Amino acid sequence: MTRLAAFKKMKELMTLYYVEAKTATVRPIAWLTSGAPVEFVYAMDAIPVYPENYAAMCAAGHQSVELMEAAEGAGFSPDICAYARTDFGQNRLRGGPAGGLPEPHFLICSTNICKTVIKWYEVLARQFQVPLFMLDTPFLHEGLTTEMVGYVVRQFGQLERFLEGVLKRPFDRDRLEEVIALSRKAVGLWKRILDLGRRVPVPFTCLDAFIHIAPIVTLRGTQACVDYYRALFDEVNDRAERKIGSVPGERYRVLWDNLPIWFKMRSLETFFEERRCALAAATYANSWAGMEDFIGVQTSDAREALAASYLNIYINYGFEQRIRYLERLIAEFGLTGFIMHSNRSCKPYSVGMYRLKEELSQRTGKPGVIIEADQNDPRVVSDAQVEGRLEAFIESMAPNDLSQGSRHVVQCRPA
Amino acid sequence: MFAPFRETIADISAAIRKHRDRLGRPVIGVLPAYFPLEVIHAAGGYPVQLWGSGLAIAHAEAYLQPHCCSVARSTLELEMSGSAELIQGYAFTSLCDTLVNLRELYRRLFAKPILGLAIPVAPSAERRRELLSAELAHILRRLEGVTGRKISPDSLRESARQYGRVRALQRELYRSRRDTPGIIRNADFYAVLKAGFFLPVEEYGLLLENLLAGLQPVTGPSIRRPRVVLSGMVFEPLDAQELFDTVGAEVADDDFASGWRSVSKDTLRVDDPAEGIAEFLFGGAPCCCLHNPDQDRHEYLVQKVRDADADGVIFWCVKFCEPDAFDRPQLLARLGKEGIAATVLEVDLSMKSIESLRTRIQAFCEMIGGLEM
Repeated sequence: MTRLAAFKKMKELMTLYYVEAKTATVRPIAWLTSGAPVEFVYAMDAIPVYPENYAAMCAAGHQSVELMEAAEGAGFSPDICAYARTDFGQNRLRGGPAGGLPEPHFLICSTNICKTVIKWYEVLARQFQVPLFMLDTPFLHEGLTTEMVGYVVRQFGQLERFLEGVLKRPFDRDRLEEVIALSRKAVGLWKRILDLGRRVPVPFTCLDAFIHIAPIVTLRGTQACVDYYRALFDEVNDRAERKIGSVPGERYRVLWDNLPIWFKMRSLETFFEERRCALAAATYANSWAGMEDFIGVQTSDAREALAASYLNIYINYGFEQRIRYLERLIAEFGLTGFIMHSNRSCKPYSVGMYRLKEELSQRTGKPGVIIEADQNDPRVVSDAQVEGRLEAFIESMAPNDLSQGSRHVVQCRPA
Repeated sequence: MFAPFRETIADISAAIRKHRDRLGRPVIGVLPAYFPLEVIHAAGGYPVQLWGSGLAIAHAEAYLQPHCCSVARSTLELEMSGSAELIQGYAFTSLCDTLVNLRELYRRLFAKPILGLAIPVAPSAERRRELLSAELAHILRRLEGVTGRKISPDSLRESARQYGRVRALQRELYRSRRDTPGIIRNADFYAVLKAGFFLPVEEYGLLLENLLAGLQPVTGPSIRRPRVVLSGMVFEPLDAQELFDTVGAEVADDDFASGWRSVSKDTLRVDDPAEGIAEFLFGGAPCCCLHNPDQDRHEYLVQKVRDADADGVIFWCVKFCEPDAFDRPQLLARLGKEGIAATVLEVDLSMKSIESLRTRIQAFCEMIGGLEM
């Protein structure tokens, strides 16, 4: 992982966040899916807590297996999402790096990342006996439509009434506007940081992004989040200007599709470094970088823009739109190939991936590889098979011509 | 009495071909679940329900991972192995993540037109209506392109009547099974349901009427046999349903998506089609794939067991079906609290041997008592 001064700051920020959530006595706790509109929660001064984020932390800290086993012992099938199992396990054992999550007062679930979360949050609602708000963001088989945006905006109205009912005070629209503005700023900075992956050499790889993604997921809509990403942008941009790459002697530049393999972050980092392969772009990290596309472009209404951005998540797209997007990333980031993680735990990302790989290779002429793994469950992943496939893939790639690399340089300025 | 149903499922392609040629309607393959068949029928289509197949997975392996459920894999295998040439188009709902992506995969792989229905997750009546109005408009436009016919209020009303009648007859069959032990063998019961996936609604309705008129209690030992309720997405593999007959147990009722959850739906209301479809989707029995806070699957299942005078529940789980798997532990705990015995059987539509299921079913029925050895 790239050694960045901001890393220490992020650790402090996240520690503070978890301490605040764990010790809260006045502010209510909301559990949210990673694609839920947290802006409404911050506008009402509740504390958002993310079981997905925590599950990832558990796996990255090699603590997920014990938790998943606890869930399986309670009857949950090993075939359901490993994030959900990790969460159900931490609910039982109070395990993981923060010693478990504080119990929720209410739940908000958005379907833009998958339908699995519907079931996961139904289980939670029954377990904790707390109210659940379900935000329906239908899959965009035919692309984004004004009908869909309207459908989500009107659900935002229902979400406001839900929050008023649960928190027993009026919803603060003015405060929402402020939070959306902060959210937009943080998302804009995150996008600019990820866009620096176009530079040669890559100053901040996807493995870095997966580490530094925590605040954009959990603290989006706060000033602390904006400040953090401004500092991170400055640091990464400085590296980009000075042409300091994350992977010394970068030869290959690739795309990573799907969630990280959280428990293999370190070993993959070494693996790629040894082969001088930089992960320059990732669809997963980009999932929190889309909001800007809709502000002031298609609409001047902040809530409409918010609805459009929550619908317009990569794994909520139809396949044609996904392929076009991947094609664009490969061209704009000057990539030499792509890696697709067929993730046992994430069906929206993985089902149909074999076909996407075929078509993407045909359209771009770039080699791609599919690795069979899981975001959180090391018990179902064969290291030898994953690394064997990656090895063969890297050997099949033509290295990037660094002398022509500058044509991919883009101007990036903080918001 | 069961011959017409048995013949249909013995050679499904022959049955579909015969009826298609007679009716001159394009065949639309409908994937799981709850797409209102009435709408396809009213537009001049011939809907057939595809709840997987028994085909061994050979070609579908190239596009669907082994951790996708066998319903999706074996349905894709139908098309990829050339066994679905009669099907001129497909209809999907957004039942689960796998089916949502499978719809996209079909668009990439095959040239056949696709109808899609997003099932609302937002629980309010206004939002359901809003989304379904938009969905219905798309479906009708696309259907017209497939069948060349517009839906008229009259044609929709007539189709709704026909399908409503068939489901009412099926419900009568369910009641007979539940209330008159031994009236129908389990294997025959599900053969009748399965034939309905492929027969035209008019034909199937007549066959059901004849069947119900001719059903007489099967004579046999007068002792009470163990009674179970089955719960799951699909009742396949059909051969495995016969195991209950051979071990001497009775399936008193079921909670299958391909069974009672579909059969329980009332006649589609057509005066306001979007509202009618919302009622259709969220009325009847609850389903693990439908988010509906107005219904409680736990209460529902407990009541079903009581009403059926059943001794236990068998969860008939298609491996890798997430929605079903998520609900199970809490449902099992609730049944346990109520003193209702339950067990979990994992099935795969392409499974080669059902012997292991026999042992498990037998052991469970012995445990709940009354099984004659």
